[in-house]
Amino acid sequence: MTSLGPEDYQAIWLSVKIASVASLASLPFAIAMAFCLARFRFRGHMLLNVLVHLPLVLPPVVTGYVLLLLFGRQGPLGQMLEACCGIVLSFRWTGAALAAAIMAFPLMVRTIRVSFEQGDGRLEQAAASLGAPPWAIFFTITLPLAMSGIVSGLLIGFAKALGEFGATMTFVSNIPGQSRTIATSIYGYTQIPDGEAPALALAGISIAISVVALALSEMLMRRTQRHRKATP
Amino acid sequence: MPARISALLRLFILTLGLSLAGLLAPACAQPQPLMVYAAASLKNALDDVAKDWTASGHGAVVINYAASSTLAQQIAADAPADLFFSADLDWMDWLQARGKVREGQRRVLLGNELVLITTASSPLTLRLEKGVRLSEALAGGRLAIADPRLVPAGKYGKAALEHLGLWDQVSSALAPTEHVRAVLNFVAWGETPLGIVYRTDLRAEPKVRLLAPFPKGSHPPILYPAAVVTPSRHPEAVAFLTYLASTQAQIRFEQEGFIRMPDQDQKP
Amino acid sequence: MTFLALDVSYQRGDFHLEFLMQTDATALALFGPSGAGKTTLAHVLAGLLTPQRGSVMLNGIPLFDHQARINVPPQRRRIGYVFQDARLFPHLTIKNNLLYGRMWQPKGPSPIAFEDVVSLLDLAPLLDRYPPSLSGGERQRVAIGRALMSEPRLLLLDEPLSALDEARKDEIIAYLKRLRLAALVPMITITHRREEVLLLADEVVFVDRGRCTGAQSTASFAAG
Repeated sequence: MTSLGPEDYQAIWLSVKIASVASLASLPFAIAMAFCLARFRFRGHMLLNVLVHLPLVLPPVVTGYVLLLLFGRQGPLGQMLEACCGIVLSFRWTGAALAAAIMAFPLMVRTIRVSFEQGDGRLEQAAASLGAPPWAIFFTITLPLAMSGIVSGLLIGFAKALGEFGATMTFVSNIPGQSRTIATSIYGYTQIPDGEAPALALAGISIAISVVALALSEMLMRRTQRHRKATP
Repeated sequence: MPARISALLRLFILTLGLSLAGLLAPACAQPQPLMVYAAASLKNALDDVAKDWTASGHGAVVINYAASSTLAQQIAADAPADLFFSADLDWMDWLQARGKVREGQRRVLLGNELVLITTASSPLTLRLEKGVRLSEALAGGRLAIADPRLVPAGKYGKAALEHLGLWDQVSSALAPTEHVRAVLNFVAWGETPLGIVYRTDLRAEPKVRLLAPFPKGSHPPILYPAAVVTPSRHPEAVAFLTYLASTQAQIRFEQEGFIRMPDQDQKP
Repeated sequence: MTFLALDVSYQRGDFHLEFLMQTDATALALFGPSGAGKTTLAHVLAGLLTPQRGSVMLNGIPLFDHQARINVPPQRRRIGYVFQDARLFPHLTIKNNLLYGRMWQPKGPSPIAFEDVVSLLDLAPLLDRYPPSLSGGERQRVAIGRALMSEPRLLLLDEPLSALDEARKDEIIAYLKRLRLAALVPMITITHRREEVLLLADEVVFVDRGRCTGAQSTASFAAG
């Protein structure tokens, strides 16, 4: 640990903050999208699916570039956000969080969608026959039963966000305290001679964070599943 | 085992076998192309030079463009490069210390200039000299620069700003990028009012314009050394290196904005 | 005014339902072989399937009328459907399963009290448990209780004994007898077994290949 300096510890804290915000903020959207794709058939279903997966298949630099055009200080959406809600993404950790959220989104949707596809709607039918309105059916029946997939999705989103690099660099560059994360720091260390020691140290910490996140998610899943042994 | 699965399994083993055979097979009868590892900022010019070379009856040239740091590290790990064309003397020295480049087989081929740029539509004017109010020009925005800790262009930029006494004004308002070309993006779209790039990068992006050149002497000379990589056995390696210093090639580089070097066989 | 009037046409793939029926019976059986369309009919009645044409009237209120473009969604039909596979919510306790329907009804006293349902079906020892730990018969009882607790106008029992093995059947039959005697709500039982008809219905309607092929009182059915 002696090969790490104060900027590195700052990068670690920033990474955890950005990854947490990115995955949590993405979650409701990922749940909605996963539900939509899993339970409904409509025209444009395939197109929507392709759009959702774009950040996964495009080079991260391209995604970062698009974010720059749209959400930068001079970009249409960036200006709108600043005007209505005072949110600035340009060269801030919030921009890094947005980049991470976009990159994590397709993975979260895929994971959560599987959970929704496991239910075949029969329990929802029963709930409807008992008088529950559609929104209530979603929140009291569908969502709780998909909880293990949702927790998995959150974990995957967090892990992906933690390792995000290309889109972040292109959108908000590598500013200490705002967007210099573990990933960009490791990259930096591999670009200077004899930077292996801090690079490996940071990589080790990154792994440790992921292990903690995994353990937490396992605990969470076990709690939500304690009474479920088999579907009746 | 069901018929379909065994058929798939056989196909898989066949594919695996062929790939392994491909990997292990000795070099084919065709002459190998010349592998050149070159700094990204050389791209357009070097592509033209290589085309000239091949058109005049020589073998094919394959160029791998990336950051000088990445390339140097790959070569140190025995990547199959025949020539290394760096944007930076430090990485060339680093390779030489590791025995990958020989003293007598390197030469400095090109120079470049460092410039301050702004968005093409900006009305800003500025002269880069001691005492200029750079932070005013930034007006709360940031200065895009290749990361000074990592990238040659950034190192030169920081040295120049320090020399002019301007570093303290801007050091907390930087937008450090992965490489020099990324600076162009930020300035082109108005995300940062100012940026530091090489003169040769200007032509790559019409949405930026030159604001002021950094005065000569404000930073160490920007030199592009090239060398034959020691383990290379390619018959045309030395000849291509010589060609890069020839008038014909140098004119190509000059057209892209590089500075011609007088013929040198030793590092300065 | 007839209690229940059905005149529907429903098609899906090869299966075609053309059903015409009117009844005043408060304990009815829809009787026919497997594949005759009984469950489809039940789904149409409950609003889980929409026919292409026709009308469904309960107590004079149209639940579905193609011409008038009326299609009351299942949550507002107040038809308590006891599914063949119970379909209890695995993440809720038995007590919360039972009370699930009550949450969506307007506040106020209910015609059917929780305690009465619990004692009718002997659910007290099960209240704090979760569905996966219950036996098939126990789940069936809870499903009946849950449907009753949703204040239905009509109870629909889909083959109440088919999902159970012999040992469990006797257990449930006793409760179904109690249910019938308590006569809390009108009941429609869907079945292909004689014994269920005799147990649970005053009148039988025959279903065959998607059509209504006749009706009879249970007494005559038993004799014939």
